[in-house]
Amino acid sequence: MRSVTVAGKEFHLTKRAVERAVGRSLPEPVREHFVVVSGRRWPPKQVLALATGLDRADFTTHQARRVLTRLGFPASRVGARRGDSANSRRAERGAGGKGSSHGRARSRTSAELAQVAAPEPPGEPATLADALRPFIGQWVAIRDDEVLVAAPAPRHVIAWLAEHGQQAQSVFRVPGSEESIGGAAPL
Amino acid sequence: MRFEFRAFPSASGGVLTPRPIVDVALEGLEAAPIACLLDTGALRTRISSEFVELAGIDLGDTISETVPVGGVRTVCSYAHVTLTISAGADRHSWDAPVWFCDPWPYDFGLAGLEGFLQHFRVTISGYEEYLEVVPEST
Repeated sequence: MRSVTVAGKEFHLTKRAVERAVGRSLPEPVREHFVVVSGRRWPPKQVLALATGLDRADFTTHQARRVLTRLGFPASRVGARRGDSANSRRAERGAGGKGSSHGRARSRTSAELAQVAAPEPPGEPATLADALRPFIGQWVAIRDDEVLVAAPAPRHVIAWLAEHGQQAQSVFRVPGSEESIGGAAPL
Repeated sequence: MRFEFRAFPSASGGVLTPRPIVDVALEGLEAAPIACLLDTGALRTRISSEFVELAGIDLGDTISETVPVGGVRTVCSYAHVTLTISAGADRHSWDAPVWFCDPWPYDFGLAGLEGFLQHFRVTISGYEEYLEVVPEST
């Protein structure tokens, strides 16, 4: 459990409590920054507002992001490449990148390699299939190889698109096996 | 209009074989084009009935048929609707018969002969994994 002070109020938060708080909500469109909660991208302010009950006007995106990353949620921004986040940049620096007189070419110690090999915070998925992987079995709306929203039924997806004024490229349920696509020729 | 085949993740890891998919928007649901598998073996164009109410389609006095789809017996109801596909700045709309099915076992709609293939000249390159559609009226 972590004690955090936001907008002059003290909250005792855990990662699990935050995951429960966002449980039934759908993520709003991500404009720039996002955190990953239960395998989905969320605007940091939406998550912290749901977890604390505070009005979003009471804190900034950076405050929300700081609180949530300290609880262990990965964070990044739209357009960041995999491994291009602050954490991996730190790892790169620690492994002989910026600030090292030896540069990138020098040999790395095992401790340094472990740091570099640590799980990377999320950047942009490399492919649409990668982006869809967390949502197998769910209905999604996608645009430009990005998942806008995922939900259990198409009506939730349509309602979300309407509520947020978003135009999808495609709506479908993410298949998970060849069998769920193949042999699809009826009359 | 050109559409790259779409690859999906496999639950057991890796990626499923990319498939020819076209995104077809129903009138009334323009913000949410429905992914349809291009199915040259299918007579009809079929979509899940879950989209009927969402698109504001009235199936009140329509005809219906019961057919086996993917091992499931499903009841499909006919509607004549306006469909739209788009790729970049190009878009094309046409009126077509679509059968809305309940239950619907697939993750996509099926774009078949009636409703889709009869309205386009279609080139499919399985090797290069793309399909190209040109409206027959142009």
